[in-house]
Amino acid sequence: MEMNLIKAADGATVVFDGRLDTVAAQEIAKDLDSILECASGPIVLDCRKLTYVSSSGLRIFLTIRKAAAEKGGSVSVRGISNDIRNVFMMTGFLNLFNIED
Amino acid sequence: MKLKEAFSSSVIRQMSSAGLLMVFIMALTLETVSLIQYTFSRKGIREEAYLRAESQLEATRNRIMDVVNQTESAVRNSVWIAQWCLDVPDSLFRVAQRIVEDNPVVMGSTVAMVPGYLKSRPLYAPYVFRNEGSLEFSSLATESYDYPSKEWFSEALDKDSGYWSEPYVDIGGGNVLMTTFSMPIKDSSGNVAAILTADMSLDWLSEMVGNIKVYPNAFSMMLSRTGRIMVCPVDSFVMSKTVREAAEDLGDTAAFSGLNNAMLAGESGSMPVRYNGITNLVYFAPLERTGWSMSIVIPEDEIFGSIKRIGLIVTILQIIGLGLLILMIRFIFQYLLQFHAMTEKKERMENELSIASGIQMAMIPKIFPPFPERTDLDMSAAIVPAKEVGGDLYDFFIRDEKLFFCVGDVSGKGVPASLVMAVTRSIFRTVSARENSPGSIVSQINDAISNGNESNMFVTFFCGVLNLRNGEMLYCNAGHNAPFMLTDHIEKLPVKPNLPLGVIKGMSFEEQQFRMKDDDAIFLYTDGLTEAENISHELFGEERVERALHSRTDAFGHLHEMQEKVAEFVGEAPQSDDLTMLFIHFLDNGIRHHVEFRNNIEELPALASFVEKIAGEASLDSAKEMNLNLALEEAVTNVMMYAYPKGTQGRLKLEALIESDFIRFVLSDSGAPFDPTAVPEADTTLGVEERKIGGLGIFLVRKIMDSVEYRRSGGMNILTMTIKR
Repeated sequence: MEMNLIKAADGATVVFDGRLDTVAAQEIAKDLDSILECASGPIVLDCRKLTYVSSSGLRIFLTIRKAAAEKGGSVSVRGISNDIRNVFMMTGFLNLFNIED
Repeated sequence: MKLKEAFSSSVIRQMSSAGLLMVFIMALTLETVSLIQYTFSRKGIREEAYLRAESQLEATRNRIMDVVNQTESAVRNSVWIAQWCLDVPDSLFRVAQRIVEDNPVVMGSTVAMVPGYLKSRPLYAPYVFRNEGSLEFSSLATESYDYPSKEWFSEALDKDSGYWSEPYVDIGGGNVLMTTFSMPIKDSSGNVAAILTADMSLDWLSEMVGNIKVYPNAFSMMLSRTGRIMVCPVDSFVMSKTVREAAEDLGDTAAFSGLNNAMLAGESGSMPVRYNGITNLVYFAPLERTGWSMSIVIPEDEIFGSIKRIGLIVTILQIIGLGLLILMIRFIFQYLLQFHAMTEKKERMENELSIASGIQMAMIPKIFPPFPERTDLDMSAAIVPAKEVGGDLYDFFIRDEKLFFCVGDVSGKGVPASLVMAVTRSIFRTVSARENSPGSIVSQINDAISNGNESNMFVTFFCGVLNLRNGEMLYCNAGHNAPFMLTDHIEKLPVKPNLPLGVIKGMSFEEQQFRMKDDDAIFLYTDGLTEAENISHELFGEERVERALHSRTDAFGHLHEMQEKVAEFVGEAPQSDDLTMLFIHFLDNGIRHHVEFRNNIEELPALASFVEKIAGEASLDSAKEMNLNLALEEAVTNVMMYAYPKGTQGRLKLEALIESDFIRFVLSDSGAPFDPTAVPEADTTLGVEERKIGGLGIFLVRKIMDSVEYRRSGGMNILTMTIKR
């Protein structure tokens, strides 16, 4: 799992590459604060290369989403696969994020 | 020989005839003995009667002869005086007088001159006789009497010797029954000059002879030389009739003729004479010189009366005895027939009852292998019944991929036990048709059997339900002996003892669980196996059972070997109890995988590759695979993170079984009890602010998996999840 945080002047883009499983989510959780710093602007979660997400991954997404809501930012999820979209649907996440193709 | 054969009715009837024949032979023997006894007694009694009659006759004869001799002597002793007096005829009356005077038995006496001997007196016979105590004198030489023509005179003269006359009633000389002894008197030149006589009265004779009483109804008779009746109970016959004439009067001449002839011939002896329908024995003997014959007539009844009475009594007693014997035999045979009928009835009833239980038992699966199409199950069962109908049972069937099986042993033996067995089996079938839990199956059977269990019979019972999909075996024991479990080693399956069925109604039975792995087997049996006895009363025992289980083979082979071992051990000793065995060999032919973890999420990547492998084998599409991965990861992570206290080491295991249309996962750990299915579902409809960070993992497991079941067993959390392929 690789994660790249590309900060912009306002907001940021987070690129996920690979499997966001529990182990990976624990790693990312360590760097979570740097993402949350950008939460006042629009944040794009680039999931085009994300192959898998576990509930721990979802928790990270939710944490970011909650921070953005607090700070008045927005979070959009870009390019999720059908499989992950299915997970989003099961968990009601489709309603919590702006889903971009 | 069976009782039934021993007392079949035809045999009883034969015995009955034999009994009657026996009675007949006994009767015959008894009668023969009695007859012989009677004959000998009769002979003895006849001899005794003869002796008595003979002695009486002898005594009487002696007394008579005494008188006869006195009379005769009186005459003979006076002959010389008479000879001497012949020259002085007037003195001759003196001779007669002296004879009468000197001899009290002599009634009268005369010296009768031969006519013409005296020139002066052509007839001369001075006569002296007793008349009322005094002597009287008279002469017999009268015109009317004509003594020379009289028998006593003429016969003595003719014979020229002493002569006893025929008895006669002397009308002229005293009107009494008399007999006369006459003796010729010769002069010096040897010519007969006179006849000297002495009259003897026979009145005493009649009395003396009449008084002979050998037996109460016996009587005596006396005949003269010519057959005239001298003494006889019938007074009218005396001196008036001969025996022949008397016999004519009595209307039976033939009867007396033989006797008459014998008596007249002067014989002595005895002879039966039958007249008036009565057989008499007549004993007779002659009296010398007089030519008389005396007899005693004794009715045979008198002689043999006592023996006849005794004989009659004995015969009556014998008849009564034999009658009682026949009654007894009849009673015994009737009893036997009744007993036979009863036995037959009882046997018929028992037969019918055992047929009834036999019908039930016939429904028990007996063809092995029972499920030839199944490759995951190899089983065999056997009941080796003891001679009597017993109360062992086993049964099994498959429903919903679950093998329901049971083994039971009803207390007691015989038809009641077999009926209870049949009922138990029937209830087992009924209850387990809808019930999956052996605990409730056993409870329900218990309630049904306890209900109205007046005979207090109970059943030890083991019931198991083996899930053929995963080897999960639930079982419940009700007082039965623990089965052997054959895994990589052999041990007894841990069982709660519980009470047998039928003891207490409403009791709940604790259910237990065992996980059978591929190639595991369970061996169930009744105590007929462990308690099989050899001749020296040793028991086969659990150790021998366990040893016999070591050489692993197929189910049929196991039972076969066990039976051989038991037979070898028991030898000639008779089998006392039913022997029932059930062998279930579980072969998990589903594709089975497993992975183990420590409680460290660093090990999670192993799960991913495990899931990849399963998905590959089960040909899952990527979406399904990802969902499966997700669900399993959530489940495993949950255990890793929360089951064991922080900082402690723990293990968890995930097994997967790929079946034709689904995949089953079993996650087990020995951590703190936690039932994820009890956690409330996360609300996925809430907005961002309200959504909780946690709780999604378990939510996802439940969402993705088609079924999630949690069970806590043996200190383990067991989470079983299935997903459709």
